[in-house]
Amino acid sequence: MKKWTTLLCLWWLAALALPAAAQDVESITFPPLNPLEIPKVEKIQLDNGLRLYLLTDKSLPLFNVNVRLAAGSYLEPGDQAGLAEITGTVMRTGGTRTWTGDQIDELLEGIGGMVETNFGDVEGGAFVNVLSDYADTGLLVLAEVLRYPRFDQDKIDLAMVQARTNIARRNDEVSEIALREFRKLIYGAESPYARTMEYATLDKVTRDDLVAFHDRYVRPENIQMAIYGDFDKNKVLARVKKLFGDWKKGTAAVPPPPVVDYQWRKQVYYAEKKGAKQSYIRMGHLGGMLKDPDYADKIVMNSILGLGFGSRLTDEVRTRLGLAYSAGGRYVSNAAYPGYFFALASTDPGNTVKACRAMIEQIRSMQTVPPTDMEMKKGKDGYLNSFVFNFDSRREVIGRIMSYDFYGLPEDFLQREKTRVEQTTKDDVVAAAKRSLHPDSMVILVVGDKEKFDLPLDSLGWGPIEAVDISIPAPQQADQEELVVNDANIAKGMEILGKAIAAHGGTEAFAGVTSVVSTRSIKLVMGGQELPATVNSWEVIPDKEKSEISIMGQKIISLRVGQQGWRTDQTGQMVPLSADEVAEGEKERLRETIRVFQAYGNPYYKAVYNGRGELGGTPVEWVAILDASGEQLARFGFDAGSHTLAAKMYFDQTMMGEGMVTEKYSNLQPKGKITLPTVTVTELNGQKIMEENISVFDVNTAIAAEVFAPPQ
Amino acid sequence: MRRMILRAGTAIACLALVSAPLVFAFDFQKIEKTVSEHTLANGLKIIVMERHEAPVASFVTYVDVGGVDDPKEYTGLAHMFEHMAFKGTRQVGTQDIDTELQLMKVEDSIFYELRAERKKGAQADSTRLAALQKAFDEAIEAANRVVVPNEFDNILERHGAVNLNAGTGMDQTSYIMSLPSNKLELWMAMESARFNQPVLREMYREREVIAEERRQTLENNPIGRAIDVLKSTAFTAHPYGISIVGHMSDIKNYTRDAAKAFFEKYYVPSNMIIAICGDVYPDEVFRLAEQYWGGMPAKPNPEPVATVEPEQQGERRVILEDPAQPFFAAAWHVPEYTHPDWPAVQALMDYLGQGRTSLLYTNLVKEKKIAAEVFAFAGYPASKYPTLALVGVIPAADHSNEECESEVYVEVERLQNELLPAEDVAEIKARAKADFINGLTSNLGMASQLASAQNDWGDWRALFKELGRINGVTPEDIQRVAKKYFTKNNRTVVCLNTVQS
Repeated sequence: MKKWTTLLCLWWLAALALPAAAQDVESITFPPLNPLEIPKVEKIQLDNGLRLYLLTDKSLPLFNVNVRLAAGSYLEPGDQAGLAEITGTVMRTGGTRTWTGDQIDELLEGIGGMVETNFGDVEGGAFVNVLSDYADTGLLVLAEVLRYPRFDQDKIDLAMVQARTNIARRNDEVSEIALREFRKLIYGAESPYARTMEYATLDKVTRDDLVAFHDRYVRPENIQMAIYGDFDKNKVLARVKKLFGDWKKGTAAVPPPPVVDYQWRKQVYYAEKKGAKQSYIRMGHLGGMLKDPDYADKIVMNSILGLGFGSRLTDEVRTRLGLAYSAGGRYVSNAAYPGYFFALASTDPGNTVKACRAMIEQIRSMQTVPPTDMEMKKGKDGYLNSFVFNFDSRREVIGRIMSYDFYGLPEDFLQREKTRVEQTTKDDVVAAAKRSLHPDSMVILVVGDKEKFDLPLDSLGWGPIEAVDISIPAPQQADQEELVVNDANIAKGMEILGKAIAAHGGTEAFAGVTSVVSTRSIKLVMGGQELPATVNSWEVIPDKEKSEISIMGQKIISLRVGQQGWRTDQTGQMVPLSADEVAEGEKERLRETIRVFQAYGNPYYKAVYNGRGELGGTPVEWVAILDASGEQLARFGFDAGSHTLAAKMYFDQTMMGEGMVTEKYSNLQPKGKITLPTVTVTELNGQKIMEENISVFDVNTAIAAEVFAPPQ
Repeated sequence: MRRMILRAGTAIACLALVSAPLVFAFDFQKIEKTVSEHTLANGLKIIVMERHEAPVASFVTYVDVGGVDDPKEYTGLAHMFEHMAFKGTRQVGTQDIDTELQLMKVEDSIFYELRAERKKGAQADSTRLAALQKAFDEAIEAANRVVVPNEFDNILERHGAVNLNAGTGMDQTSYIMSLPSNKLELWMAMESARFNQPVLREMYREREVIAEERRQTLENNPIGRAIDVLKSTAFTAHPYGISIVGHMSDIKNYTRDAAKAFFEKYYVPSNMIIAICGDVYPDEVFRLAEQYWGGMPAKPNPEPVATVEPEQQGERRVILEDPAQPFFAAAWHVPEYTHPDWPAVQALMDYLGQGRTSLLYTNLVKEKKIAAEVFAFAGYPASKYPTLALVGVIPAADHSNEECESEVYVEVERLQNELLPAEDVAEIKARAKADFINGLTSNLGMASQLASAQNDWGDWRALFKELGRINGVTPEDIQRVAKKYFTKNNRTVVCLNTVQS
């Protein structure tokens, strides 16, 4: 055809196929939804308690197993955080009775298959994915990994390396910091639902612990196993019985996950990430449980408040104000333990307070501004019309059935909620918001760089601002380093001690110290409270000392002269010291810095090098001071660069308890010819118990004899 | 077994289990029969795959435009437009279109003046700037008052849409969603309208959202930044070197006219493919498509990028210093997806760094424990044009980028000097087959793959020929491409070194 004829034809065709004039979707009538066939899952329980769920689907030649293990990291001791996670990893990587981990890797990767295991906080899992030709292999490997893991040390070491690497990286991304720290604010830093593994906790995890965890909790009665895909039911059932049927039940019942003890408060928390290009804001409080009666109302509430476009948080913070790419939130209801309500946004630091305010306003509005017709449509219709998507994936369907089974939810739980959502009214949504949202009792966490904020955080007027310390506790190398008393370490210890003395004034200067008079103001930290006190001390070296503590209007005196001593008892009387108390006092004196420095070279003391460590980012060298009998009086930590005294550690009994005491020193000041730290922070087992500030420190002044007069 | 040195014990133990011989072929005929296609007179192609197990369907609108097509002064514009495509039409998203269009014109004219004043730099009149900025903010507020925000999304979600989203790559932009299958006509009406007559409302606010997206995904993310700079160093001429999200200065300069011109050039029917997978029937789909999409005027097909990245003459290195933990990555120039060498390059990357039995994982992670994680893949940032093969390493705590880097090259050299055993190559193919079949399970996945095969090869059936390409790879091919592409001169390296500020 000639070109113009062709063009004419095309135009004519185009003219016929006009676009639907104003695309008015409300005028389109849609056919009814085709019926949804919810796939039928066959349930079988073995004699040993193992629960099976079977669902065939021959559309693709794939074979899948999804195992749910009713155990998690909540079962590990807090000081071994990471135990469950490492067990979950090494069950698969560490080999089994038949094969090494490497052999299993090669077997599976040779057929493009996958078997993986893991533990989370309240439950664990195992997954198999193979082409259906290899179903038998997949089941065999699964059985080996679940029943007979051998936890090869080499693979434990590897898992530890990977876990330590993750610890080192955990502050590299602001979003990860925010999620982790927010969970701590909700559940508590020590809670199994929030705690983090640390180098110190990993150090305490041994192979025996992994074996014990597995043996105790990976038992048939704690296992639900879903099998779905292209398989013959009878064949697979027979195979499963053969592989798992003779597995004996365990004897230990699994304790349930702990309850959450939430501290309601209105407070702002700031975690500094210098140079952050965005502030990451998370605000909220404790949430609820799936079984809560108003769960359906919350489904609608969530959709209106913070799920995607059309929700109040997204529309306002992202779309209208342009403050964020990610903005939203919802009230989470969990099965095992309460979820949390949260709203989040990540925004330019110069919009931090603005974004916080916008978020708070939208949350409040859920209680004061009823949903519009359009919002109800979004919340209800959206849920109801998309309900079918809960059932379009076999993996999702079967996983849900297993979970409901475990938590005692009816299999048609979702359908029941759907019916309730159909009946939800605007009043119901507002009532749910009033009942479950507490905008004036939220914790607000901001991760970012406050120097770039539009306004300081206290302009929110949201209660006290607490700084969250996200620094990663350093590996306790020195603690782990055993003290080895040999000539080389003694020589090195003496060398370091000698440098320290020189840095503080020199042996002559210290030799010349005969008396010290000092005044310190202290803060005792007890039971979350800070108690101020003042301490006046007099000391005549070597064996006279007196201290007067003024605290809470009382005066507590202790006095020692030679082998005798007295102290104020609870009634205010001066009573003699017992022999034990005298000996304790002696020990205390012997570890005093001035004494140790004065005794340099004295055969009574040994100074033994005890390794390098780190204190608040500064490398220190540890020197253990031993007395003549070889007993360790204290470990002195000297700044590896300046050789000045940075810390002292010793085991002691204090009024707060017994344990490892660490004194951390700062603010060195010259006092005559010697230089000593004037600020000391004391910790017991890592917790701060006292802070001291020396205000007066007089060396070699005359002290009246009456000061040391025994009481009448 | 994936070590060059066979371990007989392993071989026997494992072979005893794997009774079925490795079979690479998969009968695609059954699946192919479920696919139908139709082309409208204006060039728009529609592909339908039927799956009637559940009353749902997934929709992909695939546009052959991406970051490579960004105008020079407006990097990130393809991505910007993707955001704009959710802002609605003359009917959807507004309370009063005529008023709104007028208010949008006011926004535009003030912005041009503001931008012109800003461009004067130090010579700019600060009073005038402040006044213009104020007027601009007011104009934005005024225009936004007539907007019904996010109405496009709301309508779809109300009707049950899930996974409503879009993604911009360097080569293509895809708009996706899943709907209950009885809402087919809703999709037709909404989707055709937004690509026929989009209204680019709320554009100036949306630029700020994109600025935040850039901060979140790129600037605030040390590894993201490292890989981005690796890419921009490897490509000196070809636009693969540009960030999809665009430079911050360009983002702040976008105008509505620029976005509109971009749309009109690239969003033409012959440059678009629709793929639908699920509980739909082809006849009905094609009838509705004619009705709703047929009126979109045919326009000339835009030209692909003609710039060819010149051969790299020597190794390039970038050192980044950051408080974050170390990270190392290396990239080599490799050919595009449709090149005959592509399957061998894919096979090489699988063997080198994918999975626990890969060379890098075995050497660096398991044996030496100097790395915690490794990854390797070909086709970064995309693969329509000659591209990069990327290897990345996360060093283990207390280990360095240097240690890991030298070991990476040890393994690359091994591939150049030794032929893989035939059985190892067979296993690469077995993995490819399993991956492929797993990729067929979701409706959305299927629709995406059909659309991209149609786009890259001109025929959706090419999707089912992919396995055939890999199955043809020999050990000699792998060695040949190792020698040809994985040379020192051809590589670009980035080291993110930890430096406390």
